[in-house]
Amino acid sequence: MYNLLIKELKLAVSPLFYILPFLTGALMLIPGWLYFIVPMYFLWITIPNVYGAYNTQNDIVFSVLMPVTKKDIVKSKVVVIVLLELLHLVIAFIFGLISTHLYPNMYYIFFSPTLGFWGLSFVMMALFNIIFIPLYFKTAQKYGLPLIYGVVATLVFAAGAEWLGIVNTTVYNIFKGAGTDNALLQSGLLIGGIVLFAIVSFIAYNMGTKRFEKVNV
Amino acid sequence: MFALEVKGINKKYEHFELKDVSFELKKGYIMGFIGANGAGKTTTLKSILNMIHVESGIVKVFEQNFIANEIEMKQKIGYAFGGTDFYTRSRVKKVTSVIKNFYTNWDDETYKNYLKKFEINENKKIIELSAGMRVKYNLAIALSHGAKLLILDEPTSGLDPVARDNLLDIFQELVEDGEMSILFSTHITSDLEKCADYITYLNEGQIINSCEKDAFIDTYLLLNGSEKQLETVKNKLISYKTNSFGFTGLMLAKDYDPSIGIKSAVPNLEEIMIYYSKKENKYV
Repeated sequence: MYNLLIKELKLAVSPLFYILPFLTGALMLIPGWLYFIVPMYFLWITIPNVYGAYNTQNDIVFSVLMPVTKKDIVKSKVVVIVLLELLHLVIAFIFGLISTHLYPNMYYIFFSPTLGFWGLSFVMMALFNIIFIPLYFKTAQKYGLPLIYGVVATLVFAAGAEWLGIVNTTVYNIFKGAGTDNALLQSGLLIGGIVLFAIVSFIAYNMGTKRFEKVNV
Repeated sequence: MFALEVKGINKKYEHFELKDVSFELKKGYIMGFIGANGAGKTTTLKSILNMIHVESGIVKVFEQNFIANEIEMKQKIGYAFGGTDFYTRSRVKKVTSVIKNFYTNWDDETYKNYLKKFEINENKKIIELSAGMRVKYNLAIALSHGAKLLILDEPTSGLDPVARDNLLDIFQELVEDGEMSILFSTHITSDLEKCADYITYLNEGQIINSCEKDAFIDTYLLLNGSEKQLETVKNKLISYKTNSFGFTGLMLAKDYDPSIGIKSAVPNLEEIMIYYSKKENKYV
C-alpha cells in the first residue's frame, strides 16, 4: 500500500494540487463570503483533473500490473482523496482564523468560520466521498457522473445548511448566535464532523473495494 | 518445466467469447501468440494476468496457481502492452524510482546496464522515447526485477523493420541461457518466423493450434490447382480463393492425397492466418 501511495503522490497527483489548497484557502480572507465554496474547489478542480489523468496515463492498468492487491489500489486512492481533503480543510481553517482576526466585527449572512462550520465542512466532504468513491470504482474509469452526483449532493447540503442557518432559530443560534461562544458545543460539532468523515470515508473505501474487485481492467 | 500453463479459459462478452483457451509454454522458449485483430489475443493475455474475470479456467506460472499467488507471481513476470504507455509526461528516472519500490528483487546495477545497452536516456520523458525504445524500457524494468516470464502484447506493432529486427534479436538473446520464457502476441507473422520456438494460433476466440513452429507449419499445405481439380478437394479445404488460373486453398496435411496430382506447397504463417479467417467469413 505504501508503494502505491508514493506512486499516487509522486506520479499521479500534479504538484499544482498541493499548492491549490493555499490558493483556495486564501479565499477565506474575503469578508463575509459563502465559505462552503472554499473546500468545494477541491471537488470542482482537483478531483476531475486527477481522475482524468488516471485515464490518460493508464493508471489503473499500471497499478493492476504491479505486484499489489486490488484492495490496496482502492485504499491508496481513497487515502489520497482524504489527505488532500484534509490539506484543503486545515489550510482553509488557518486562513479562517486569520479572517476572523482581520474582521472582528463582521456581519455574516452565511456561516462564519467557526469550529462548528468546519464540522459541517467535514460532513460535506464525507457526503462527497460516500457518493463519488463507490460510484467511481464501479468502472474505475468513468468519473464524470460520480463527480456530478457527488458535487450536486454537496451543493444541496451546503445550500440546505445555509438556508437553515437563516430561517431556523436553533441552527442560527448554534452557528451564528450565542452558540458560537460555547467552546464545548463548537468543539463537539468539529469532532463530530471529523468522526463522521472518518467513518463514512472508511465505508466508502470498503464499498469501492468490493466493486473494484469485479471490474475488468 | 512449464513457465506458463493456461487451461480451459472461458470468457463471454456480448459480442465475443473466449472458448476453452488452453496452451502451455515451456521454460526457456519463445512462444508467438498469433491471431487477427479482434481474435482475442489481448483478452487472453489480460485473463492470464487476472485483469479480467473469467468464467472458468486455470493459469499456472512456474507450476503455481497464478490467482492464489498473484502478488508473488507478478514479481516474476515482466510486461509490455504495445500502445499502452504509462505516465508518458514523466521522466524515465521518475517513473523508475516509483516502480522499483514494488519489486523485492530489484537490482539497480542490472537496470543501469540495460539502460546503457538499450541506449535509453533516463532524463527523457516517456513520451519522448520512440515506440521501440518504450518496449525496451519495459524490458529493462522487467529484467531488473528478475522477471523470468515476459508477457508482451504486440510489442512489435508500430515499429519500423529495423527496430523490430533489433527487438527480436534481444528476445533471442534473453532466452539463450534457458531461464527466461517469452510469450508475445502479434499479428505480424514474419516476427515469429524469425524468432518464435512455439506458435499458438487464436482465431475468433478459439485456439486453432498450439505447437512447435515447424510442426505448426507442417500441419498445413497450400494447394494450387485448376477449377476442375477444386471440385475434387473442395470439401477438404479449410478455405480457398479462386483466380483466373484456378484456385489456391489451405488444407490439413493429413487430408492431402498426393495421388490426385494437385500441386502442394508449404504455407507460411501469414497464409495460414489468412485462409483460416476466410473460413470464418464463409459462414457470415
